[in-house]
Amino acid sequence: MAEAWRGIRVTIPSDVRYLGAIRTMVDEACTIAGLPEEDRGEVQLAVQEGCANVIRHCYKNQTGRPIDLRLTFRDDALEIHVDDYGTFVDPSRIQSRDLDDVRPGGLGVHLMRKLMDEVRYSKNAWGGTTLTLVKRLKKGGAKENA
Amino acid sequence: MKVTREKRDTTVLVSVAGSVDIYSSPELRGELKVALEQRAPRIVIDLEKVTFVDSSGLATLIEALQKVHEYQGKLVLCGLRAAVLSVFQLSNLDNLFEIRPDVPAALEG
Repeated sequence: MAEAWRGIRVTIPSDVRYLGAIRTMVDEACTIAGLPEEDRGEVQLAVQEGCANVIRHCYKNQTGRPIDLRLTFRDDALEIHVDDYGTFVDPSRIQSRDLDDVRPGGLGVHLMRKLMDEVRYSKNAWGGTTLTLVKRLKKGGAKENA
Repeated sequence: MKVTREKRDTTVLVSVAGSVDIYSSPELRGELKVALEQRAPRIVIDLEKVTFVDSSGLATLIEALQKVHEYQGKLVLCGLRAAVLSVFQLSNLDNLFEIRPDVPAALEG
């Protein structure tokens, strides 16, 4: 028999006021996943940047559009999917900026790539983009902590 | 987020508490704008009570630094917690900003 899915699903509107609540939820999820204290802030920031990019770039700051978050407790990692319902963006166009080019903005993707073990973009079933963020457990796993 | 601004001689001290993110950073930008419009010779931003900063928060601070440099002023950050400092380091901004351990050290420099 297939193992039951272990995770959290939540949908928020594309409104930056909701991101604080998402960070709190992600922090709790990190605890359930068994991630150490030092990793929790990193995962919170990566999810924050992923959602903020959806609001700014995909929905052009339009509020009330849905953002789906799926957090899955894998045995070896916390895997997070951020789904939007906009237009699929070619991953090759989503790039970190050159850090020597000092200017406000453009650091979100760079931070996600630095903070997470995996960052991937793919087309979802609704024609939008799914951002996948993975933070691997250093030892032990969700089973021991859940 | 909570922001307060006070003048100490020729320095404007901006104290920030809480999360500096895409939601709250416009408020910080507004407070900094006042100091920048006054062309304060030195702006010290106390981040001791800041628990979280995202790329929008960083962008707000980079923007302020660039504007301060336009009139040959000085902008100093202080009191960064380890988690906040780490975000600066990951973005190579720890070398761009003048960072001091606390307000007295920032006011001395």
